[in-house]
Amino acid sequence: MSTDTVISIEGVSKKFCRSLKRTMFYGVRDVACDMLGLTRHLSHLRRDEFWALNDVSFEVKRGECVGLIGPNGAGKSTLLKLMNGVTLPDKGSIRISGRIGALLELGAGFHPTLTGRENIHLSGAILGFSKDHMTKEFDSIVDFAGLEEFIDSPVKQYSSGMYVRLGFAVAVSTDPDILIIDESMAVGDAAFRKRCLDQIDAFIKAGKTIIVVTHNLQEIEKIAQRMLLLDHGLIRANGRAGQVIASYMNLLNTRKLLRKEFNEAAHEPAIEIVEVEVCGGDGARKSYFHTHDELRVIIGFKAYRPILNPVFRVQIYRNDGLFCHGMNTERHGIECGEISGEGTIILRYPDLSLLSGDYWVCVAVLASQYDELPIH
Amino acid sequence: MPVMENTIGQLSANASKPMESKIAVAEYTPRGIRRDGLAGWRLMLIELAESRRLIWLLILRDLSVRYRQSILGYVWAIIPQIATVGVFAFLHASRVLPIGGTRIAYVAYALWGISIWQLFAGCLSSCTTSLVSSGSLVTKVNFPREALVIAALGQPVFDFFVRLVPVVAVFIWYGVTPSWGIIFLPFVLMPVMLLALGLGFVLSIANLVIRDTGNALGTVLTIGMFLTPVLYPPPVRWPFFLVNLLNPLSPLLTASQDLIAAGFLTRPEMFAVACVLSLVLALIGWRAFRVTIPRVAGYA
Repeated sequence: MSTDTVISIEGVSKKFCRSLKRTMFYGVRDVACDMLGLTRHLSHLRRDEFWALNDVSFEVKRGECVGLIGPNGAGKSTLLKLMNGVTLPDKGSIRISGRIGALLELGAGFHPTLTGRENIHLSGAILGFSKDHMTKEFDSIVDFAGLEEFIDSPVKQYSSGMYVRLGFAVAVSTDPDILIIDESMAVGDAAFRKRCLDQIDAFIKAGKTIIVVTHNLQEIEKIAQRMLLLDHGLIRANGRAGQVIASYMNLLNTRKLLRKEFNEAAHEPAIEIVEVEVCGGDGARKSYFHTHDELRVIIGFKAYRPILNPVFRVQIYRNDGLFCHGMNTERHGIECGEISGEGTIILRYPDLSLLSGDYWVCVAVLASQYDELPIH
Repeated sequence: MPVMENTIGQLSANASKPMESKIAVAEYTPRGIRRDGLAGWRLMLIELAESRRLIWLLILRDLSVRYRQSILGYVWAIIPQIATVGVFAFLHASRVLPIGGTRIAYVAYALWGISIWQLFAGCLSSCTTSLVSSGSLVTKVNFPREALVIAALGQPVFDFFVRLVPVVAVFIWYGVTPSWGIIFLPFVLMPVMLLALGLGFVLSIANLVIRDTGNALGTVLTIGMFLTPVLYPPPVRWPFFLVNLLNPLSPLLTASQDLIAAGFLTRPEMFAVACVLSLVLALIGWRAFRVTIPRVAGYA
């Protein structure tokens, strides 16, 4: 482990149990074994168990901001809990150098009947800070949360946004070396989110490490240089933000296609997309377009047997996953006739009506392969 | 928003202060602290010392929150005890229940006994539910979570002092003068609390995994009160005194009664055994708690 590495995760696995009753049963056995100091076989799955995280390994260096994305139930929160040491892995090891500040659940530890003021001091004590530290930071916490008027009201009377603001303000005031944030900013209003992002920026500039989990891809892309894509407990992608988001979109699209269209025996593809090109009006490849430019999507396909009226689909997504446009030949009544062998099909958008931003063009052909190409 | 700019300036200025030379390195593996042995004990003691203030704040929180939405407030600490003693005083006086002679007036005896019992039972049930009632704090925040269990002692101990008010009143009414031995009372109360804490550590974990624990405890404590010489003098005939002999709380209760009525311990050896047992149980419970809490944090 180099001196720059602050988080090092090696072959970490964690299992969970689907059935609550079995969870109790296994829990009693595990706890009894733990208490009696017996070794247990942690590495095999018992009935109804599954790997919430499966052999996950990665490193994070000092000063990095890493985004953690993935569909629901991918294991993101579990991973954060393990990093924070709330629970222990079943396999592998986690090394953290530096003090961790975690916002796994904003306002965890707030007591509803206590006032904001009392809760700030209590949270500070829970996170291990002295009275002096909290007294010193108190005003800036209240300022940051923007709760001057309500600081002496019980927090159960706060709106959920106010709750979150107070939680975030307390967490950043603790000045951690590593900050872990779990989908926390989603509840705050636009002004507060801006403030959070600014604060995160300031943290990055100060050489701190940040790990953010979110479903807001547009927001995360602004702050995270690197991203990890988790799915079913596995790391599917790890790299530059744009690339990982592309794989995520790809993953989601694959899921959709699989559910909808892959019912027939599609193991041997009848038709395949071999090439996709995005060109301007003059037919030259390009990846940067102005609003109202002409866009051509050229799809090269290869049919392995004669197919009557295959359905081609083209969709355009904004990089945060927003679906902007979609068309398919069947819905638009375009009959391709019987095709066989190789060929190309061209879709023209004479007047591209998209605003500035990054978009993907996803191309698919029915009941066979899909392909897609991110453009920037 | 000028205030906002200002705040960011402050916080980031704070954030950019030079990093301390000593960087804490934490390593999490499936084995937890079990492999640490004695070093594990040292770590536990350091963390306990560091969480003194947290424990105190949690106690204050529980005390101040408990009766915020209540009219009678702390009177509720006294009502159940007076009601129980009232019923038993009636049964005793009307000779429905033949309760043997006590060293001091029956009402004073019963009231004192039930105060000690309530201290034990209150500590035990409050420790047991401490983790479950903290909810996401246990599952989402990494901090010395034994602080929650230890702080759970605060409420019942405070209640105990509130209950001393009627006890003193009854002692005065019946003209019971406690002996000078009463100054040693804290040395009897400590093992009572340690016993409850040790069991509470284990039961709080059990309650996280299986919620039946909390329900079962209520029943067990009700039965336990009648199996402990709280409302009657300790039985002396065979085999009934066995219940008394096997009950770790009995020697402690008897010792407290001895201190009030006689000023010396009638069964010092039993008291010593109970003290050692309480201490050992508290230490074992604490260690077991530490070893298992990361495992069960997911069950809360």
